[in-house]
Amino acid sequence: MILTIENLIKSFPKKEGVMVAIQDFNLEVKEGEFVCILGPSGCGKTTLLRIIAGLESITSGKLLLKDKPIIGPGSDRGMVFQEFALFPWRSVRKNVEFGLEIKKVPPTERAAISERFIELVGLKGFENYHPNQLSGGMKQRVGIARALANDPALLLMDEPFGALDAQTRNLMQKELLRIWLETQKTVIFITHSVDEACYLADRIVVMTSRPGTIKEIFNVTIPRPRDRASVEFAQLRKTILAELEREVVSAPIARDNSEANV
Amino acid sequence: MDRKSVMKRRLQSIVIIFVSMAIFIVIWWALSIYFDLNYFPPPDVVFEAFFDSFVTPDPNLGITMGQNIEASFARFLEGFALAFVIAIPLGLLMGFMPWVDTFAKPIVELIRPIPPIAWVPFFFVAFGSFWNPVLTVFIGVFFPLLTNVVLGVKSVDPSLLDAARTQGAGRLTLFTKVIMPFSVPYLMTGVTIGMGVGWMCIVAAEWIAAVGGGVGYYILVQQQVGNYPYMFAGMIVIAILGLLTVTLSGYAEKMIRKRMGML
Repeated sequence: MILTIENLIKSFPKKEGVMVAIQDFNLEVKEGEFVCILGPSGCGKTTLLRIIAGLESITSGKLLLKDKPIIGPGSDRGMVFQEFALFPWRSVRKNVEFGLEIKKVPPTERAAISERFIELVGLKGFENYHPNQLSGGMKQRVGIARALANDPALLLMDEPFGALDAQTRNLMQKELLRIWLETQKTVIFITHSVDEACYLADRIVVMTSRPGTIKEIFNVTIPRPRDRASVEFAQLRKTILAELEREVVSAPIARDNSEANV
Repeated sequence: MDRKSVMKRRLQSIVIIFVSMAIFIVIWWALSIYFDLNYFPPPDVVFEAFFDSFVTPDPNLGITMGQNIEASFARFLEGFALAFVIAIPLGLLMGFMPWVDTFAKPIVELIRPIPPIAWVPFFFVAFGSFWNPVLTVFIGVFFPLLTNVVLGVKSVDPSLLDAARTQGAGRLTLFTKVIMPFSVPYLMTGVTIGMGVGWMCIVAAEWIAAVGGGVGYYILVQQQVGNYPYMFAGMIVIAILGLLTVTLSGYAEKMIRKRMGML
């Protein structure tokens, strides 16, 4: 197992008592797997990803990356952000090389690595552009290249295509699968789009509303490239949608129980 | 907008600026003739004095306007440099470390409301005629610089910090590779504001004393000897210097923002 999450609990202190964001979360992720975490907004899925990234601490439970506990952020887990989070004053190349600079990789090696990943994400020729000269889709390509340049064990993606228009989004999903196949990375992908999860994932983890925990895990066996118009795809989407819909409907009740309104 | 209409718009602005300047000069002229006061000379006399002041050394100071500008400009730069050296590190620390902010803020907020001009008598007594104008410029420029650097650090997009941390950045790297570059355009805004304030300070400080001349001192001397057209010439020089430095700094700010992709 590359990632092991056992009985994870995350709660935030509140004025009165605590707000439980994630409760009894158990998940094991295999090397090379593409896992989508799907849930209604506010279910704690982004918090979960930030915990895996080391940007948030856990309240209790076990969180292991290759059998070693995660204690803080590190370049062994690359993260891709919904709002891109590119450094505006750095060129595409310099953005991709950011982590390598920190690791003090020599400039020639750095250039070779960034060139490879810029080419991988299809941005050859745009090395010297600045983020504000790029479209949303291109920005996220830079985000992916930057995360991969550190050769991380995990690629964490927080609704990475959420800010893109529908067409760009579909294209980027295709591109991501190509990149995933080429790099053989383990991906944990947060989304609230059932369609996106069905298209991308090996496994889909459906979360409940707050406090967030696993409701059900779906293994997706439909061979890639997946045809959105196929019967199996529609069937899967329908099943998950129904599951999720029940969750959204029950959300206010769950919220009352956990006293969560942040 | 296409090129042609841009050109047309630009031409229109130039015409309007010329008309506005012409009206200003006509009103000045009319008022000066109407009141007929020797301390309010008409524009033609002032312009003549203005050009002459650059050629003929002033009998009271023994130097030309060019040398006076040099003297003032040197003090301006020294004061600015001093403010830079102190305000930038302090601003970065105040923005980055909450306890430094809490510690320095009461002192800063207490001193900030004192107009730079109010410091002039003290600076003169305590530090003499060389440091007085330099320190007055320093005080005037220091606060806009500090405020903008602190604002810059506090405006850093948290997701950029998250991104840097997931790339393996520690506290020091966050500071040097994210927070510092992010604050540069904000610092430039502070510089532009400081440019405007700096010239007010230099004139006020030079009124008390100035060794080796200075435009502010020049204005005062011309008033004292009743050489009014030259007094106005000094005022015009200050106006031009202020306009020039603020415009240049504003342009530099724009260029830096553009280069950094932070418009």
